Amino acid sequence: MNTHFIFWDINVWADGALRLLMITGLMTVVAMGLIYLERKVLARFHQRVGPQRTGPLGLLQSVADALKLVGKEDLRPTNADPWTFELAPYLVFIPIFLGFVVIPFVADWQVRVLDLGILYFVAASSLTIVGWVAAGWGSDNRYAMIGGLRSAAQAISYELPLVLSLLSVGIVAGTLNLNEMVQGQSAVPNIVWQPMAFFIFFIAALAELNRTPFDIPVGESEVVGGPFVEYSGIRWSMFFLGEYAGMFIMSILAGAVFLGGYEWPFGGELGRGWQVVLVGVKSSIFIFLVFWVRASMPRLRIDQLMGYAWKVLVPLSLVQVLLNGAVLVYGGPKIILTVTGLAGIVFLFWITDRAVSKPRVRPANPAMQTEAAS
Amino acid sequence: MKGLAKSMWTTLAVFARKPVTRDYPTYHKPLPERDRAFPLLLWDKQIDEPFCTGCHACERACPVECMTVLMKDNPNHRSVGGNSGRRKIIDKFWIDYARCMRCNICVEVCNFDAIAMNNTWQGHELSVYDRKDLVMDLGALTSLSHGGGITEWVPVVGQANEA
Amino acid sequence: MASEMLPDEEYEVQDLLLNVGPQHPSTHGVFRMVMTVDGELVKDVVPYIGYLHRGAEKLCETMDYRQGIGFMDRTEYLAGHNAELSYVMAVEKLAGLEVPERAQWIRMILCELNRLSSHFMFMGAFGIDVGVFGTPFIYAWREREAIIDLFEEISGDRMMYAYFRPGGLAWDVPTNFVQRVKEVLVSSKTGIKDFDGLLTDNEIFRARTQGIGYISAEDAIDYGMSGPSLRGSGVPMDVRKDEPYLYYDQIKFEVPVGKNGDVFDRYICRLEEMRQSVSIIEQCLEHLQPGPIMPERMPRMLRTPPGEVYVRTEAPRGEYGVYLVSKGGNRPYRLKVRSACLSNLQPLKQMSVGQYVADAIIVLGSIDIVLSEVDR
Repeated sequence: MNTHFIFWDINVWADGALRLLMITGLMTVVAMGLIYLERKVLARFHQRVGPQRTGPLGLLQSVADALKLVGKEDLRPTNADPWTFELAPYLVFIPIFLGFVVIPFVADWQVRVLDLGILYFVAASSLTIVGWVAAGWGSDNRYAMIGGLRSAAQAISYELPLVLSLLSVGIVAGTLNLNEMVQGQSAVPNIVWQPMAFFIFFIAALAELNRTPFDIPVGESEVVGGPFVEYSGIRWSMFFLGEYAGMFIMSILAGAVFLGGYEWPFGGELGRGWQVVLVGVKSSIFIFLVFWVRASMPRLRIDQLMGYAWKVLVPLSLVQVLLNGAVLVYGGPKIILTVTGLAGIVFLFWITDRAVSKPRVRPANPAMQTEAAS
Repeated sequence: MKGLAKSMWTTLAVFARKPVTRDYPTYHKPLPERDRAFPLLLWDKQIDEPFCTGCHACERACPVECMTVLMKDNPNHRSVGGNSGRRKIIDKFWIDYARCMRCNICVEVCNFDAIAMNNTWQGHELSVYDRKDLVMDLGALTSLSHGGGITEWVPVVGQANEA
Repeated sequence: MASEMLPDEEYEVQDLLLNVGPQHPSTHGVFRMVMTVDGELVKDVVPYIGYLHRGAEKLCETMDYRQGIGFMDRTEYLAGHNAELSYVMAVEKLAGLEVPERAQWIRMILCELNRLSSHFMFMGAFGIDVGVFGTPFIYAWREREAIIDLFEEISGDRMMYAYFRPGGLAWDVPTNFVQRVKEVLVSSKTGIKDFDGLLTDNEIFRARTQGIGYISAEDAIDYGMSGPSLRGSGVPMDVRKDEPYLYYDQIKFEVPVGKNGDVFDRYICRLEEMRQSVSIIEQCLEHLQPGPIMPERMPRMLRTPPGEVYVRTEAPRGEYGVYLVSKGGNRPYRLKVRSACLSNLQPLKQMSVGQYVADAIIVLGSIDIVLSEVDR
């Protein structure tokens, strides 16, 4: 059985293998590029210059880091669970890898077109949590365990608003196929109809990616890197690679679902080169936002994080889904969605402000207090 | 949310500013003349010998006892046909830079202005592999001043600026 | 029920002991605290100190008064000028020395600059504790660098100044001192504004800090807290106001006081104090006149009559006191440093028990300890 691969017709297995190989290569290069970019951009946010010694403008810094990490000894603590410890990096790495299958980079450039593309992506990428918990549990380290458990709590909470916000876009677009969804935005990108869903998606994506202000599992100042504490060398770099590949894939997804991917809203056919540029720009906006947020936000506490997900984001995204359904079933101008979405954002701001302006002094356990005072 | 926007605006404003990084190994900040690295001995160029007479004043005043001083009769003294006015002169001098805490007291107690704090970058870049390499002998202590590589600043304690 | 499934004889339910430090990114040095945690809740905190103990007090007893100055810097490496000030003031009081006016003004300027730099350091480290990635730390270093450069131009050293002497100053400031201080103040104001914008109003920052690490005014006094950590609880105690030393009585400034006694109030007190410091320095610059910096007749070797004296000053972290006993001669018989950090550290358990692990970290950050001052 032969399939079409770029220019040639080749065996379907070879085709699959080649595509996977391409993705692996792409992912590694992109992750290294993102690490370099993040260091440069964050450096500017800090009024520094960032890496500059390795190669022109420090461009080879990531390569040097990768070589160093590969050369390092692969340590395993004596009491660590061998299987859990050694397999955990793969469990983080592979699901992100699987997510790449459905991502539409540009027209006709994706591994497979799936009708339930978004569902597949969400299902695959949420598996990373297994790896995190395994790393936390297998390391036989208390910081790692706390980090792993935090990560589990966080990923489960924020999976819901992420899925619901994507779903509400799916309702408006009328499809879960990512390719069709992008093509459906040739006139107006979905963000216009679903501003609140984009907002919720952005917050939930930050949490899914363990980025500031939701970097609680790896909180450097509290649990010193969380599940990664005991990892070194190549295994540690796989976690890192997974993180940045996840960011890349999430930004492409945000571009495709909300900003219209490779479609240009002002008419006219775009060549493939311009499509790549367009996708690059759209995902760069998202990535820059992530960096920017990282440079300016403190970290939330675990209970605040959970409270925000369950009390604010999940209800709001449910309301959005309900509203989309109502508008679709009973008909009505789509502009209602825009207006309600913007109103939703205002409500989100207001409720956040309200939560903060009245901080609750958590009454400490009286038994503990007397114990401490004595 | 207003506060979050304010934070993000602040970071963005800083983003637009010029980086303040000093690119250290390639760029060395010009050091002020009072900069204190480690003590070294000064060289009397007129007579071509160290100023130090080995009087042990600094050795006694050193809080961390990092100095060892040995004195000898000056072979270059006028009484033996030389051209120096110093009857005694330094024979051996060691300063353990690893012990020195750079308090400047040795400079203040010296009656001959023979010791000064190194105010060049050479005094700061002293990485060695073995801490015993940080024990400097007379040659190492005088070489910078002998070669003319230092404009020393020897303060007079309690002296006020000219009004 | 879980208890039925897990018989007590076989499974003992234990709380997790979490060893934070001495090598932990947010213990501000080599501090170790063993937390008993139940999930994320802290049930007990046992602090361990002494990793940085060098016996500075005892060392000073073997040295004359001038030699001790260098060790005072090292007991409080973030605010060396303030630590030196307490020491030299104690010696002056004992020896009955009159310090010239110019020296006093310069001392005030340097101490307030040092307070600024120390508070910048607090802002940076506290920002990291709360979880902003690097940004506040770099802002802090940026401004601190300017101040430290100025100190280097004046005293020659960046941290261990050894610049104050019993009786005055070691040597005079450079001739462009006033202009340089003004330059530094401009950059410090930028830094204060940056911190204000970055942290103060940030909702996440407020959510993290407000209502956390509460300590009442009574408890704070009972524990002997001082400095901004005490003022955060609403006690307007400031040695500069209560027992003016140097010329603080000729300067107009306010003592910022918090209301709630939580982490946020301690932060905001420090931020406000930085603004006050800037204004104090500006006023001091107007008073600065040329003149001598040492008394006319200074003995070559300073000797003190027998006696004992306690001098306290307001260091950035609180009351830094020096208790000096002399039996005559040129060295102290006994020197005791009353460290603000050690006292401020005492209520750590009370403030952090019942909070989350992340809160315990910022509570520790909010009292701004310097381990060299705790252990000496």
